[in-house]
Amino acid sequence: MPAVLGLEGSANKVGVGVVRDGAVLANPRRTYVTPPGTGFLPGDTARHHRAVILDLLQEALTEAGLTSQEIDCIAYTKGPGMGAPLVSVAVVARTVAQLWNKPLLGVNHCIGHIEMGRLITGATSPTVLYVSGGNTQVIAYSERRYRIFGETIDIAVGNCLDRFARVLKISNDPSPGYNIEQMAKRGKKLVELPYTVKGMDVSFSGILSFIEDAAQRMLATGECTPEDLCFSLQETVFAMLVEITERAMAHCGSQEALIVGGVGCNLRLQEMMETMCQERGARLFATDERFCIDNGAMIAQAGWEMFRAGHRTPLSDSGITQRYRTDEVEVTWRD
Amino acid sequence: MQAADAGAGGGAEGADDGADGPGSPGGAGEATAAALGRAPPVTRPRHAPRPGGDAAATAGRTGGRTYVFALCVPFPSAVEAEIACGSLAPDAEPHGGVVEKQLTVRGSVLAVRWRATNPRLLRISIISFLDQLSLVMRTMQRFGPPATR
Repeated sequence: MPAVLGLEGSANKVGVGVVRDGAVLANPRRTYVTPPGTGFLPGDTARHHRAVILDLLQEALTEAGLTSQEIDCIAYTKGPGMGAPLVSVAVVARTVAQLWNKPLLGVNHCIGHIEMGRLITGATSPTVLYVSGGNTQVIAYSERRYRIFGETIDIAVGNCLDRFARVLKISNDPSPGYNIEQMAKRGKKLVELPYTVKGMDVSFSGILSFIEDAAQRMLATGECTPEDLCFSLQETVFAMLVEITERAMAHCGSQEALIVGGVGCNLRLQEMMETMCQERGARLFATDERFCIDNGAMIAQAGWEMFRAGHRTPLSDSGITQRYRTDEVEVTWRD
Repeated sequence: MQAADAGAGGGAEGADDGADGPGSPGGAGEATAAALGRAPPVTRPRHAPRPGGDAAATAGRTGGRTYVFALCVPFPSAVEAEIACGSLAPDAEPHGGVVEKQLTVRGSVLAVRWRATNPRLLRISIISFLDQLSLVMRTMQRFGPPATR
């Protein structure tokens, strides 16, 4: 019964988790929040992570009630993500792995989300909608790979939401997406925005340009409120996500859908996905913000599966990589 | 830690970029600096522009200068120096191959050596390395000493 330590810090969240045999023993996390109207830059984010990660590591061990010797494997995010933050977390992983003489495992961040989603919800073989600030993919498992059926051809849906929040100077605490969601609940008017599904894929950068421009014009004339714009943006982008997920489910004959990633916390998205699933007689699975949002335990869980399947990452191969496709990993722990 | 500008084909320690072609006033000069209090090399005058060209064009024609920076970091033991090297070596430098970094362990000292043609990227790389090095050392202090092998 291996206990795995997982370290994550590919974007503005840094977390350390401990997982043993399907139980999450600890999962502390900190978020780097920047002032309204700004986003997080790699150097500053890395500085934040370096300042808190050792405290998080100590907290995780204490909460799990384990000593370093009782940990069997050190998992960390190899990629994808932002360079300097990834490095800051990876060097800690490598250092403790060497200090404690434990095997090291570089984990794909997207697969971390998927494996935690599977563990928490119990979904057997779902079509996965992975939506966050950095990624937007529709994924299904087939023959030892997590295959990408559809994805964004430019920016992630969360990136679109976050950058729109900056235009309206919406607070980034606890996250811009959360605050857009609250404002959207008070929206009354649907502003027509471009709808850009491209076959199995989606595009968001055009919608962002359009709504940034619309915000300047329409808020000045009082034609609509910021709440109306938040509402309209969510309705449009979420409908697009539901469409491409449904398309993949139809291709695969899938009766299960799983939403993972930070944008998966959004209750309106969950509601729209639930409607689509019910119409198809399928079941929807989603997790709460502890596991939707980037966290260390998801890396530990993916690491746990990989460790038991015999994967190891030698130090010389342990470099981080900002680009790391979900289908690059051979998923030997599933049939 | 002064980076001194050596003209006329190097001559500073470790130089291996020769002059580019006949009549080229400087070739790729080399600047060397070492941490830990060694005096910087004597500054030589910048090479004069070629007749009929200007300094920027000359630098472009000869491919630019190579900058070298070396750092020696002492550790309490060889094991810890090896661990630090193992943690800091695997990540590739960003921006392709513009900045090269080499880490080696000599006894209980971690020796790091940089080569770069772009001084700004070199400076960024050094500062970033020092930040990550500091994190590695804090990690070793807090979660060490190394378990017996």
